[in-house]
Amino acid sequence: MSATAVPVLEGRRLTKRFQGLVSIDDVSFSLAENEVLGLIGPNGAGKTTLVNMISGTIRADHGSIFFKGQPIDHLRPFQRAHLGISRTFQVMKPFPGLSVLDNVVVGALFGTGGGETSIARARESAREWIEFTGLTHRIGQSAEALGGPDRKRLEFAKALALNPKLLLLDEVMAGLNLVEVDEVVGLVRKVRERGVSILIIEHVMKAIRHLSDRVMVLHHGEKIAEGEPSAVLSDPRVVAAYLGTRRT
Amino acid sequence: MQRSVLVLVIMSVIMLAFLPWIASDVMLQFAINTLLLATLAQSWNILGGFAGYVSFGNSVFYGLGTYGTAIAMAQFGLPFWVGLMLGALLAVICALIVGLPILRLRGPYFAIATLGLSGVMGAIVSNMDIAGANIGLILPLTRADPMFYELSLGLLVVTTVCVAWLSMSRFGMALIAIREDEDAAGTMGVNTTRYKVAALVLASLFTSIAGGIHAYWITFVDPASAFDPTLNVRMVIMAVFGGSGTVFGPVIGSFLLSTIYELLAFWISTAAALLFGVVIVLAVLFMPKGIADLALAKEPGWRYFLRNVREHRL
Repeated sequence: MSATAVPVLEGRRLTKRFQGLVSIDDVSFSLAENEVLGLIGPNGAGKTTLVNMISGTIRADHGSIFFKGQPIDHLRPFQRAHLGISRTFQVMKPFPGLSVLDNVVVGALFGTGGGETSIARARESAREWIEFTGLTHRIGQSAEALGGPDRKRLEFAKALALNPKLLLLDEVMAGLNLVEVDEVVGLVRKVRERGVSILIIEHVMKAIRHLSDRVMVLHHGEKIAEGEPSAVLSDPRVVAAYLGTRRT
Repeated sequence: MQRSVLVLVIMSVIMLAFLPWIASDVMLQFAINTLLLATLAQSWNILGGFAGYVSFGNSVFYGLGTYGTAIAMAQFGLPFWVGLMLGALLAVICALIVGLPILRLRGPYFAIATLGLSGVMGAIVSNMDIAGANIGLILPLTRADPMFYELSLGLLVVTTVCVAWLSMSRFGMALIAIREDEDAAGTMGVNTTRYKVAALVLASLFTSIAGGIHAYWITFVDPASAFDPTLNVRMVIMAVFGGSGTVFGPVIGSFLLSTIYELLAFWISTAAALLFGVVIVLAVLFMPKGIADLALAKEPGWRYFLRNVREHRL
């Protein structure tokens, strides 16, 4: 990767307030082609708000977001999806009345570049993503009937079906056991090998350490650290943000 | 769709097409009314059933179809088909103008906003001289019930074929995704505004043509009956009774409810409306997902009804 390459995603001096509360405070960041950027921080740090701003469900009060060098602030969520930005939701949003297959088909039909035009081809690619995330045995079931871990898999499969260039993963591992976490880590690696750039929010530090090229830490909406995972995770300020400071 | 269902449907349509040769005059009139109502319920189903947007404004499109046809024929002496096209054009333009702002509203807010529409349009038409103001218009008299019957049947078939195509298409998938979770649909790349407006336009098209056929058949239009909000309530009830968001549910729902109402009116004329209300309440309690869901249920009759009551915490 050359130093002059245009980043896939860049946020410049982003700020978002909800009434009096500053959720994101003057945050800048960038994500290079095929890079995995870990985003961590205590609850309420503004991580999901940042993902919402990137996917377009909320707009920044100040600052700009660039996708491959082009500003995307004026684009609606579906237009950003057509560019190749896809996300999962922390509070999972399956289409409850639809089967697992149909849930994923929607992603394939309307994803990057406007999506697949033929239902048959969309089904074909949806089946592949369902296989990839290990949900094939549930393919005909209604999304409502899935348990927690399978819902996570479905959320992942739906996001992948858009065939994204940039994938925003908002706590896809929360609530999974150790074996399941390892599985998802493996899946994220495989997605990355396909050339997808990834922004991953996670509280499972082991996963962040294994997956991320760089880590960025938010605390009360401010960026307090950024850099190579092991260095950032041992940074005293980061430790203090997570655990609090020792009383003296 | 299963081949056996398809064969059954085609056979039924062919048999229905021969009805004018055997039915009495009264029977034929009942059939025309039923077919038109079924078309209205099926049109309502496009936006209400598939996209989950409960509209009470479809009677506006019906009224515009009615008046388009009446104005063309009564005021300008134009042929019937030109009137139908004029009505459809007015309805589609109205759907485009009204749809963009109103489809931004969700759930009950959308329903409330659409409720006002027919009142507004009725008031506008009542003050237009070309539309006969509040007196109404009289269309040229044509005694050709078989023709009206075949037209109504044809319109219902076309509308249902359109909904069947919808249920298997990308367009339909977009509407279903919007119904299930509009925000999630948006982040997955569904241009929600475009598909919602397209659904409303499609619904307005079929609804207005049904209005036009009805106007020429009845040969008289006035604002109160053309923009009657209770007509819209009937569309909703029939579509939901049959199974909204399904291909045949609204048609079956309309046929059954029209028949039940007609029989009740025949046996106990005055209390018919009351008993009809009881039928609706029982249907919503015991089969809220409509007849289509009942037909596909795995368990025997009474268990299905009890499960519905349990699941909806009644």
